[in-house]
Amino acid sequence: MKWMLGLFLVMAVLVIIPALESAFAAGDEPGEYLDRRVIIWNLFFRMMTVAFTVGAVVSGTIIWLVWRFRESHPKAKPTPYEGTDW
Amino acid sequence: MGGHSNWPEWIYVGIVIALMTWVGAEAWEAERLVEHVPEDVEIIKVTGQQWFWTFEHEDGTKEIGELHVEAGKAYKFEVMAKDVNHSFNIHDYVVLIDAIPGRVNTVWFAPDAPGVHDIQCREYCGLIHYNMRGTLYVEEPSS
Repeated sequence: MKWMLGLFLVMAVLVIIPALESAFAAGDEPGEYLDRRVIIWNLFFRMMTVAFTVGAVVSGTIIWLVWRFRESHPKAKPTPYEGTDW
Repeated sequence: MGGHSNWPEWIYVGIVIALMTWVGAEAWEAERLVEHVPEDVEIIKVTGQQWFWTFEHEDGTKEIGELHVEAGKAYKFEVMAKDVNHSFNIHDYVVLIDAIPGRVNTVWFAPDAPGVHDIQCREYCGLIHYNMRGTLYVEEPSS
């Protein structure tokens, strides 16, 4: 299980901590002039990019699973049910 | 658990946690930027009532159904309602905030170019809700 802790540490350093830092970087100083349209559209664009990427990976995995583990696949092996003698 | 490896599940869990954290942080950051009001902002009081909008500038000037502002300046709307719930929307500038009786909601924006834009109510507020519109005139800077 040690490697798992290591994995989470790496993930934390690479992704989680920088993301949190950018969010906590807010100060009390007055804001700058900005275009709401740009900020909001950029956020929407990034979120949609992530959503479609995740969607593609998840549906690709499901399609592959269904294709690979169908009964008629050349390498298919019957599940070793209990009490049977396959 | 014994006999087979479950590392793909743990990687999957890690990726999901990282993604959710990133999504949350990005949204938080965007909200912080959008809500961060500039120092020299001019306050405009916006009142919604069935079925028109009233605007009051800092100098006391009032407008009904029309709002005149200058390009290149920042404005903060203090939005309230007199009767029922409304929602103040300037679609072209992505300004949208509920107008609730007994409550002041705020939103700010900085128009960047002269032009004419629609203002409309975005919360069904009765029979003539569809026509609870206004016009935003963004004018050339005076100075």
